[in-house]
Amino acid sequence: MGVWKYKGFTHKVIVRKLGLIKQKDMTELAGRSLQDIFPMLKRTSYQTEISEIPVEQRNAVTLERAFLRNLTKAYQDIMKQSPKDIAALVSTILLKIEVNNVKTLLRAKAAELGVGEAMRLLTPGGRLDDEKCQRILHECDSIPDVVESLADLGYKAVLEEALSEYERTGVFLLFEMALDKYVYNEMWTATRKLKGLDGKIARTVIGIELDSINIKTILRCKALGISEEQTRHCLVAGSEILGEKELEEALGAADLKSSIEYLRKAVEITGARDYKRLLMNAQYEYDTTQLLSRLETTLDQGLLTTSLKMVKRYTPYYNIGLILAFLNLKWFEVRNLIAVTRGVEAGFSPEKIEKLLVLPR
Amino acid sequence: MLKRALSVELTGIHPTRLELLRLRRRKKMAEGIVDILKKDLDALTVTLFEYLKQIPALRDEMRNGFAEAYDLFVEAEMLAGPRKIEEISLVSQSVDLNVNIAAEEGILGLSLPTLQLAERAASTFKPRFSLVDTPAKLDESTLKIEGALTQAIKLAEIEASMREILEAISVKKRQINRIQYKILPQLDAAIRYIGLILEETERQDAIRVRVLQRKRKERALKAD
Repeated sequence: MGVWKYKGFTHKVIVRKLGLIKQKDMTELAGRSLQDIFPMLKRTSYQTEISEIPVEQRNAVTLERAFLRNLTKAYQDIMKQSPKDIAALVSTILLKIEVNNVKTLLRAKAAELGVGEAMRLLTPGGRLDDEKCQRILHECDSIPDVVESLADLGYKAVLEEALSEYERTGVFLLFEMALDKYVYNEMWTATRKLKGLDGKIARTVIGIELDSINIKTILRCKALGISEEQTRHCLVAGSEILGEKELEEALGAADLKSSIEYLRKAVEITGARDYKRLLMNAQYEYDTTQLLSRLETTLDQGLLTTSLKMVKRYTPYYNIGLILAFLNLKWFEVRNLIAVTRGVEAGFSPEKIEKLLVLPR
Repeated sequence: MLKRALSVELTGIHPTRLELLRLRRRKKMAEGIVDILKKDLDALTVTLFEYLKQIPALRDEMRNGFAEAYDLFVEAEMLAGPRKIEEISLVSQSVDLNVNIAAEEGILGLSLPTLQLAERAASTFKPRFSLVDTPAKLDESTLKIEGALTQAIKLAEIEASMREILEAISVKKRQINRIQYKILPQLDAAIRYIGLILEETERQDAIRVRVLQRKRKERALKAD
């Protein structure tokens, strides 16, 4: 199919990208009250979801739900409009949202929440729509029932092993780890199926996303004093740049600083310039602040920057770069909006809120 | 015991010089004890004020610690979403925080309580919630709370120590008051009583001697 598959599609993504909230407007929102944010958001792509919130229920929680609904819809639209091979990758990215709902269903059952309370925590969409979620919550009495009811979506196979282990140990985290491994493995498998420039761009962007997750996990476990064995269970599929061997070495490093140092050196050897820049920035941020949270923000920033760099490096047309950039921009826009609304609700200063935003540089 | 050792009843006193000497010795001893008790009281008061001085700083540290932990928690909510954090809290494994209570010898041999947040065994360090779904801010918040809890426990330890010291101060004060306002006046009264009796006896003896001398003189004059 070559570049022809992008005919008439790239422009739709460009239009959607232009509809994203501008950086200036996002920082301006941080200085407003929650009441002022609502009319401002009604002038954006979130208009429909925001309008559905009753006036008396306007708070950070209902807004979070509205933002995530909009995100799901945007991802679904992109998936529907994308060429077949790209749609396969976007569908695995959409799985992240679906998996979050699966986790919520399991958590709700584990905590014995009522249907109404559980529905408040869910963001139904796609295959797990309102009706299906309500039906599962009504009909299932226990976690094994929920797992069974998700068999048609393929989650029974994913959760079977975790379920038997959960019944033995009672550790809920096993489900979360199994689902995380599943979704990121699916993403990486779909990425590896892409060929040519699309494959190259996707492997860089998705690879950075997966590796960032593993880096964060290793460093957090190191900071918390969690054993290597425990940490190993929390890791998800990694890219070719930071594969099993490199992650294993980073795991075995004496301390947190040595882990970062090792990872930086490992990517230097591979010559992957995007990774090199990412880890250099992360190391600098950690050395300066000694805070893992700052390092996490730098890694997120790195993912967004890399996505945008791909568009600049290989033209926005006729490749997957623009789609992945849009998906990441949209995700970080939603994350930033959640941060702004919660920060404003908590009475944080605009400067404090801005520090937590992931904005393109 | 001190009360029994020092208190005297006038009715059972033998008004003799030996008893007077004994009572004077007891009075001197009681005064010595009062001095020692006053020194103890001073030491206890100084220690009490030293503890008291630590409280505002510790209380501020604790309050700031909890406030910072709360801010970090809100920041975690900002990054992961308030619903997500609420949801994760439903199933995350709780942290068992134990406080070790012991006692150590403090001022004047007083047994003062020591409270310490029990350190968890390394084998218990396991991820409590999904690390993929949560930001590191949540860990930072947890660490801050642990820090603030340590301050709260230190405050509780100081308060418990102050209670012990205040109890000791009150006992010492009671002892001093008892000696100063009961035992010493009793001893003084007894000493005065024996003194008066002895003076009276001396006076009678002197009169008796003078009468005898006068009679002897009269007898000598008659014989002349």
